[in-house]
Amino acid sequence: MLNRLKLGIRSKITLGYIVIILCLLAAIIILNHQITSLQEERNYIIKYDAKVQELTNNIEKYILDMESSQRAFIITGEPSYLEPYDNAAKSWKTDFNDLYLQLKEKPTQREKLKEIEETIEHWIETSGNPTIQFTKDNDTAALNEFFKVDNGRQDIEKMRNLFESFRSAENNYTQAKAHQLDKKNSQLTSGLFGILIVISTISIIIANGISQSIVKTITEVMQTIQEIAVTKGNFKRRIHVKTNDEVNELADATNLLLESVEKREWLQTNIADIVKKYQGISAISGLAETFLSEVAQKTEASLGAFYVREEIEDQVLFVKKATFADGDDLLGINSFKIGQGLIGQCALEKRILFYDNIPQNYRLIRTGLAEMRPQNILLVPIIFEGEVIAVVELATMTSFNDLQQELVKQVIENFGLTINSVLGRMEIVRLLNESRAMTEELQVQSEELQTQSEELQMQTEELTIINEQLEERTKEAESKSKELEKAKKELEETAEQLILNSNYKSEFLANMSHELRTPLNSILILSEMLAENSHNNLTDEEAEFAKVIHSSGEDLLALINDILDLSKVEAGKLDMIFNEVNMNEIPTQMEHTFAPVAIKKNLAFLISKANDVVDIFYTDEKRFHQILKNLLSNAFKFTESGSVTLTIQQLTQQQLTSNMQEVSADWLEITVSDTGIGIPKNKHQLIFESFQQADGATVRKYGGTGLGLSICKEFAKLLGGWITLQSEEGQGSSFTLTIPSLPNGIEEEQCQKLAMNEVAVTVEEVALIEEQPQEKEEVSQHEVEVFQGKNILIVDDDHRNIYALKTALEKRGMNILVAKDGLESIEIMQANHNVDLILMDIMMPIMDGYEAMTIIRQQMKQTDLPIIALTAKAMKNDRDKALQAGASDYISKPLNLDQLLSVLRVWLVSKGS
Amino acid sequence: MEQMQPLEQKIQLDKQTKLEIELLLEAIYRLSGFDFRQYNRSSISRRIYNRMKINNIPTISRVLEKVIHDKAFLEQLLNDFSINVTEMFRNPSFFKTFREKVIPSLRDYPEIRIWHAGCATGEEVYSMAILLQEEGLMERAMIYATDMNEQVLEKAKKGIFPIHKMQAYTKNYMLAGGAHAFSEYYKTDYQYAYFHPTLLKNIIFAQHNLVTDQSFNEFHVILCRNVLIYFSPQLQSYVHQLLYESLSDQGFLCLGDKETLRFEEVISNYAEIACNERIYQKKH
Repeated sequence: MLNRLKLGIRSKITLGYIVIILCLLAAIIILNHQITSLQEERNYIIKYDAKVQELTNNIEKYILDMESSQRAFIITGEPSYLEPYDNAAKSWKTDFNDLYLQLKEKPTQREKLKEIEETIEHWIETSGNPTIQFTKDNDTAALNEFFKVDNGRQDIEKMRNLFESFRSAENNYTQAKAHQLDKKNSQLTSGLFGILIVISTISIIIANGISQSIVKTITEVMQTIQEIAVTKGNFKRRIHVKTNDEVNELADATNLLLESVEKREWLQTNIADIVKKYQGISAISGLAETFLSEVAQKTEASLGAFYVREEIEDQVLFVKKATFADGDDLLGINSFKIGQGLIGQCALEKRILFYDNIPQNYRLIRTGLAEMRPQNILLVPIIFEGEVIAVVELATMTSFNDLQQELVKQVIENFGLTINSVLGRMEIVRLLNESRAMTEELQVQSEELQTQSEELQMQTEELTIINEQLEERTKEAESKSKELEKAKKELEETAEQLILNSNYKSEFLANMSHELRTPLNSILILSEMLAENSHNNLTDEEAEFAKVIHSSGEDLLALINDILDLSKVEAGKLDMIFNEVNMNEIPTQMEHTFAPVAIKKNLAFLISKANDVVDIFYTDEKRFHQILKNLLSNAFKFTESGSVTLTIQQLTQQQLTSNMQEVSADWLEITVSDTGIGIPKNKHQLIFESFQQADGATVRKYGGTGLGLSICKEFAKLLGGWITLQSEEGQGSSFTLTIPSLPNGIEEEQCQKLAMNEVAVTVEEVALIEEQPQEKEEVSQHEVEVFQGKNILIVDDDHRNIYALKTALEKRGMNILVAKDGLESIEIMQANHNVDLILMDIMMPIMDGYEAMTIIRQQMKQTDLPIIALTAKAMKNDRDKALQAGASDYISKPLNLDQLLSVLRVWLVSKGS
Repeated sequence: MEQMQPLEQKIQLDKQTKLEIELLLEAIYRLSGFDFRQYNRSSISRRIYNRMKINNIPTISRVLEKVIHDKAFLEQLLNDFSINVTEMFRNPSFFKTFREKVIPSLRDYPEIRIWHAGCATGEEVYSMAILLQEEGLMERAMIYATDMNEQVLEKAKKGIFPIHKMQAYTKNYMLAGGAHAFSEYYKTDYQYAYFHPTLLKNIIFAQHNLVTDQSFNEFHVILCRNVLIYFSPQLQSYVHQLLYESLSDQGFLCLGDKETLRFEEVISNYAEIACNERIYQKKH
């Protein structure tokens, strides 16, 4: 900077004013001088003029006095008159000399004066003195003489003229002088104005100069500041002022401010930069790395290390988390304790330590080319809530300036908080992760548990099944062993009885043969004779009777023979002869045989044969007849009143199972039903056993061998068919014989197949079916389990719906309760606690489905009872409302039976199974 | 020091167990190609212990021996490892939200590809099929249902579910905003509910292993619910990457209710559509 003379604004302004004042002063002095000289000149002129006037006047007066005094003296001769003369003669000369002196600069006037003097002196010489002398001398003549000429007068006249010209000359002179003065005066005035203008000009120039110099710098400063303001933070710019005044100082001060602002700006920008960089970092090592690299970059540090406080096994350690410019991971110690070394000291003292005397063995900073010793080290503790939570060490090859140190200081001020929050966040993330892991683990475990429970359930189920099977087997085994025991006993008994039986049998048979054949013989012979009616003494009817008796007797004989053959039947040794049978004859034959019995017992005997029954049917006629007769005679035997009906039908193709079709295309179903005593269900099986009747009482009451049904059953089997029984005690019985038309006789395989058929056709029956296929049995059993005995409440106001539902569901073993509206359903629910499921229509009078469901769910607390709402298909709103009211499921109208049953299965199946 | 002894022993034991499990998993991988090495260890070890308990095997090494020599046992163990807990309309609110928030976006696609990763016995696949049918999208949709366990896939293909679960499924269906009667979709017998085969029309069941197999298409929706919980975090990240790459732009990823993307790297590429239901949408 040039050491310029300091010239402040104040001095500038003062100087300006002084210059102006001086100018004014000079002007005033000059003017004053001028005015004074003018005045003097004027005074001189006035004085001179007056003096000259006075002197001339005096001289003139003196002369005139002298003249008058001369004259007076002359006239009077009185000497007293001469006195003025003398005085004047003495005095005028002084005045004249005086005047002469006055005119020393005016030779022309002097000339004139001299002329006047000469004239005066001439007068005195020629006129005055002589006359006076004359008078004194009383020389009157001379006087007269003199006055005759009177030269004096001429002189006086001349003198007067001379004075006159003198005076006018003098006047002219004065006039000229005055004129000169006037001129001078006007010159002075114009001079005054000139000075005024000059001074004004000077003042303006000075004022302009000063203000210019002040304003210019201020404007410069202002512009610079404005530019800084406009460029927003271009604090690099400085104000340059050439003048050396207060503005310069202002500029200097502003520059200083700018500098500090720039520093602050730098600090803030860098801090903001650094802060921005480590935002969003969630790991402490990443944070440390970012922080270190940023700070090192900003402070031009060449080495750096970042240590974070950790508590390891109750020991507070600072552990290295990041390094800067450290190629191999060897930079510095990996951890230190508080107070350990300078860095530990830094942590202990909680203040920044700065070193510029670096020990010889401090680590060298490496570049690609060389290794250098750092110049400065900065150890910075990062404090959070009064605790040092991290320490940063920085080293540089140059030196950390104040600004960089300040940066570090400021950066770490809030960094503690950041570290803490990052640590906190890491902890939170860790905990969250842990909790997530735990949640997942829980889910996994719960799923595993579910799987396990399912497995367990399956195992339990398996176990249960196995158990059941075992139990069953045990039971079976038990029962078998019992049976065995029983069988053993029975065997023993039978063995005993067998002997007896065989004895009985042979005895019986012998008896029969004997007892029956004997009367039969006579009956046969006699009836034959009667029938012949050789004497013609019998009516036709009686002859007919005789024929019947004869044919019955023959049948009886045949039966007796058959009884003998029963053992053969059971051993399968009975010969079957399949032949054409004219089905049209059957009704007549049966009519013939049983009409008398019917008449005798006063029973109606109805025979109906369907039209579609084939005419020619292939079977063993003898056995077929025997079965029919057996069944019919049984029917008549056990019927006290009412009727016995024989129905012959051909089975339609639809009724035939595939197995049946394989055997034959034509099947007959001959049913013998009665209105007799009937057979209790538990005896159904029994009556087909040999030598059995429903109970002992029957034997006593009705007699008979009990052989008939047994033989029928065996014969039916041999004919490829079977007999089924439908009967209830007191309700009459209905035996149905189902047999195929077998033109080619019967084979073993067919027999087996037919055994299966028996099952299919007689699902509802218990009688003859001994071997049912396992699967089918299970299905029906479960089906029965699901539906059987379940109480279903149907709530609907439409009778047709109710009827349809009721029929369909009752058919599957469900018990149906019916309510016609919601209110009724509630009443039923209150009265009956065993409802398993409700089918609830929505649109109903009195109380609709929603209300009813709400009451059942909320007031009756029946939360688990399945309620299936029956909704109209298109109305989603209905469905939602139904669900809200507490429906377990819904099903759309019109109902599809399959769907309804599916839903019922879903809701009736026990949850645990 | 004396007190430290048992602890160290325990650690030693744990190490041994770890080694045993690692060897076992390695063997399983080599023998069957199923890679459980990165599965959640605690779960896997529980499964192993469970099997050990059932079969009365004293050590994992014996299990290893059995696995190597007894093919049936290996199959059994593999079956044990795959947990197939699922139900129809599981977490009904998920399906409800799916109906409300995802379906509208799918309507614009001429063809919708959905990947059911880890479909197990297929309950959720059928649920999705029902949902799509009700929304009128079934004709355009193709559901690829995959699982690594072929046995369960066989079950899934049949669409037969135990009848005693149907009550719960019905409830779920209704809570999920079902538009019809649930019974319209199945028939029953005393034991099972049989879902209509028409539902199967646009479903492809295929064996796929998330751990070892690559993506096989680009999908508009990926459902991978309660599958990743069995994986280790690393494996989860890997699979998330796989799923991300298999999604089309603006595609939807659906996770199980206990799973979250929050800690996964890929989260930045997804927008949360329904956070509580774990439905995410891939960003552009």
